[in-house]
Amino acid sequence: MKLRGTILFLAGALAALGAGWLGFPRVIYRTQAQPVDFSHKIHAEKAGSKCDDCHAFRADGSFAGVPTLDKCSSCHAAAMGDTAAEKRFIEQYVTPQREPAWLVYARQPENVYFSHATHVKRANLKCERCHGDQGSAAAPRILVENRISGYSLDLLSMDACIACHREQHKENSCLDCHK
Amino acid sequence: MKNTRRDIFKFAGGAAAGALLTPVPWRLIKDSSLWSENWPGIPRPARGEIRSKTTNCALCPAGCPLRARCVGDQPVALTGAGCAFGVAAHHLPYHPARLRQGPVEQAKAALAKRTPSEPIAVLDLNPGRTASWTFRRAMAALDGTYISPDPNPIAYDLHSVRTVLSVGAPLLEGWGTPANVLAAREKFYLVHAGAVETPTAMLADEWIRAEGLPDPLPRRLLENGPSLAVGDAPGVAELNRKLGAPVYARPEAPVPDAWKKQAAPVTALDAVPARGLRFLLIDESSAVTYIPWHLIEPKLASDAVVITFAVSRGGYARHATYALPAPVFPEITEDIPAAIDQTTQVFRLAAPLVPPPPAVVNASELVAALADIPAAAALRERADFIHMQSPAHPTPDAFWQALVDGYIWRGSPSLPAQSSPTQPRPAHDLPLTAVPAPWTPALLSPLMTKLYEESNLRLPPNAVALNPRDAAALPSRAVLQTLHGKCTVRVVPDASVPPGIVLAGSSPGIRDICTHGDGAKVVLA
Amino acid sequence: MTRYGMTIDVDRCTGCGACMVACAVENNIPPAHEGATDRTGLTWIRVFKVGQAFVPMLCQQCGEETPCVSVCPQKAVEVDPATGIVGQMPERCLGCRYCMAACPYHARYFNWHDPAWPPGMEKTLNPDVAPRMRGVVEKCNFCHGRWHAAKQQAVAEGRDPAHVEYTPACVEACPTKAIRFGDLATLPKPPGSVRLLESLGTEPKIYYRSSKVDLRAGKEPSRG
Repeated sequence: MKLRGTILFLAGALAALGAGWLGFPRVIYRTQAQPVDFSHKIHAEKAGSKCDDCHAFRADGSFAGVPTLDKCSSCHAAAMGDTAAEKRFIEQYVTPQREPAWLVYARQPENVYFSHATHVKRANLKCERCHGDQGSAAAPRILVENRISGYSLDLLSMDACIACHREQHKENSCLDCHK
Repeated sequence: MKNTRRDIFKFAGGAAAGALLTPVPWRLIKDSSLWSENWPGIPRPARGEIRSKTTNCALCPAGCPLRARCVGDQPVALTGAGCAFGVAAHHLPYHPARLRQGPVEQAKAALAKRTPSEPIAVLDLNPGRTASWTFRRAMAALDGTYISPDPNPIAYDLHSVRTVLSVGAPLLEGWGTPANVLAAREKFYLVHAGAVETPTAMLADEWIRAEGLPDPLPRRLLENGPSLAVGDAPGVAELNRKLGAPVYARPEAPVPDAWKKQAAPVTALDAVPARGLRFLLIDESSAVTYIPWHLIEPKLASDAVVITFAVSRGGYARHATYALPAPVFPEITEDIPAAIDQTTQVFRLAAPLVPPPPAVVNASELVAALADIPAAAALRERADFIHMQSPAHPTPDAFWQALVDGYIWRGSPSLPAQSSPTQPRPAHDLPLTAVPAPWTPALLSPLMTKLYEESNLRLPPNAVALNPRDAAALPSRAVLQTLHGKCTVRVVPDASVPPGIVLAGSSPGIRDICTHGDGAKVVLA
Repeated sequence: MTRYGMTIDVDRCTGCGACMVACAVENNIPPAHEGATDRTGLTWIRVFKVGQAFVPMLCQQCGEETPCVSVCPQKAVEVDPATGIVGQMPERCLGCRYCMAACPYHARYFNWHDPAWPPGMEKTLNPDVAPRMRGVVEKCNFCHGRWHAAKQQAVAEGRDPAHVEYTPACVEACPTKAIRFGDLATLPKPPGSVRLLESLGTEPKIYYRSSKVDLRAGKEPSRG
């Protein structure tokens, strides 16, 4: 009788562990695909683009992030290759002049102030340090987003920021990075 | 073997213990706290490229040069304004009291039914604009009357005087062109006459605590010339004549000769015959003054049609047959007339920063259409005319572009004025004397509540301030009563208001019934 | 690093309120809620009429024994050791309002409501400052958004971001130049300047000058 109770207890624990470790991550995250089948790899290899050809700084030091359609259509006014993805992109976005609703993997919440200029121009960090190696990806990654908080899985957490700042002895005050 | 209740509890207990070893509870705590940091329902500011645009403020004739900070095309901040109103002028298009819809078609139909013999008039509450000339041309064509609140506007030169007497004028509270007044203030000795402790009284070199022209006159005024008296109290114009003060006719930028030839004369409201108007069009869209309704009402025929071009329901819209929605600053291109302290001709534009809502109508264009005169390009026509007279830019197009970007054209100085004497004020036997708060634009940014609701810096528009002695028996809500009517107001006790004076807020309801020096009483509601 | 400070010439203040409105525009402070009063309103800078003078009051950025820092159970308030600016972190604040009780200047304000703007007006919010939620305390932080922007501009131009000059919104809006702002070490302090409640020993960084009212003495505002 005693043994049966232990087995039931362990069965319950096992079921919870299974659900918590295997089922829960599937439930709490939702995935979204980029609207355009964009390949960083092709742009880097065939067109010889560098990160800052498209992801540029403005004169005031702010970072423009994902380029607007103007930038795309300056090359893709007509098809340059023969891929189906490019043809679809031109048909759906370039010709009707519709801005693609790009998904951003690293969108920080509203209360965070982050200056790309300080990190890239002053601290000479490589883009890959925080964004991973996007440049060699052949297909856009799927955006994995938390259903409750709405944060992307790729979003750098404050712990990650603090760890690096602590190493560099650059930790000053909360309002250095919050607005 | 049968499952018992105890077995279920054992299983559940195991599940609970197991769950603690999974990410579930910890993740839920963290995610919900992250969710609460980005509280839903709190608006997110738009992101985008920060751009800068320059223009001029059209809220009052000061026309302060503004720099607008824009996210994309949306202005988010204005700098360069000389007052609290201009700093937040980019909020006006979104004001909850903004008039956005109106019976435009009905008003047009009513105007179309007018026969040429029926008297029509335009009351222009911001005279001296290009739109004012359009009104005058249209009234000439329709045989109508163009009414201006001040047919002979004057201008004061503050820079050439050593003593200034302010007779109740809000000289340091946004009067004239604030930047110009403050620059001149360094050089003149200021005497302020007024019962209420206004900012001007507090900052003046000498303060005479009585309403009206002081008697005897302050010695500095007579001995430390050249001197100037400022204000619209009776006797100020005569005093200026006696002092030989630098009073000029209000300068106006050059006007195409063709317009002058076919423009209706500027008429004062007093000169309009009683019950003489069948149609009255009021342009209060950029009003810089307010005429109490009890002065307008006697001029209307019994079946008069009153059409007002308004930005809110607060002004003449309360009395009009049709209240039509008009554009606010910064929605249209408009020129700004000269201010009371500008003695040289100026021509400057307020360029639009945001598009107007679809239903708004432009008063000058509607009136011009009645008379079949082209008005849409009137500003450009005048700019080209000015360019022809004094070419400061290589081409008319370059001149126009510079104007749109905030360039201020300056012309020749104006001539000494022939001022008209002011009317004496009627005597009264009411216990209090009204002193209205300085004029404010009809529509103010919702943030102005910082000044009068969330702090005590300014008197709220619908309030009156009384000496605590006069306010002693009154509740916080009472009725302000004058010879012209009554209005429910909030009563604010204020030790800086002397007994016997009621400092009245600037809401249209109060302005309709009380002007400076009127007799008043505040009674229980 | 530059330590920032401010001087206020009370004799020049005309009480126009442009600083209060410009501050609200800059820092995304919503218009008054239904029934808001001078006790429940949000005005990071507030101009008081005291005797025959107008005195702008804002967070005095106490540098030593900062009262709000020492009482905060959440470490939501801190003095930036580099700039000397007292920062308030709305994300950490739990809304106990100890700091409001502790502040000798009454320069802290509580969000009794979620911020609300009239429809359409949220388009005019400043992207450099995050709106705060209900239940947190907020106060002046010398226009931190502008400080961020100035540092970023310095980096873009290859200058040292540790020593930047910038202008807070109230300073920029003041038509009479009564408020001045800059490096505390080099900012000219008019003769006769005092810091409010200096005897508390909190080393505030705002210097007032007035020839009309004795700013060392406690005074009641005249209206209300």
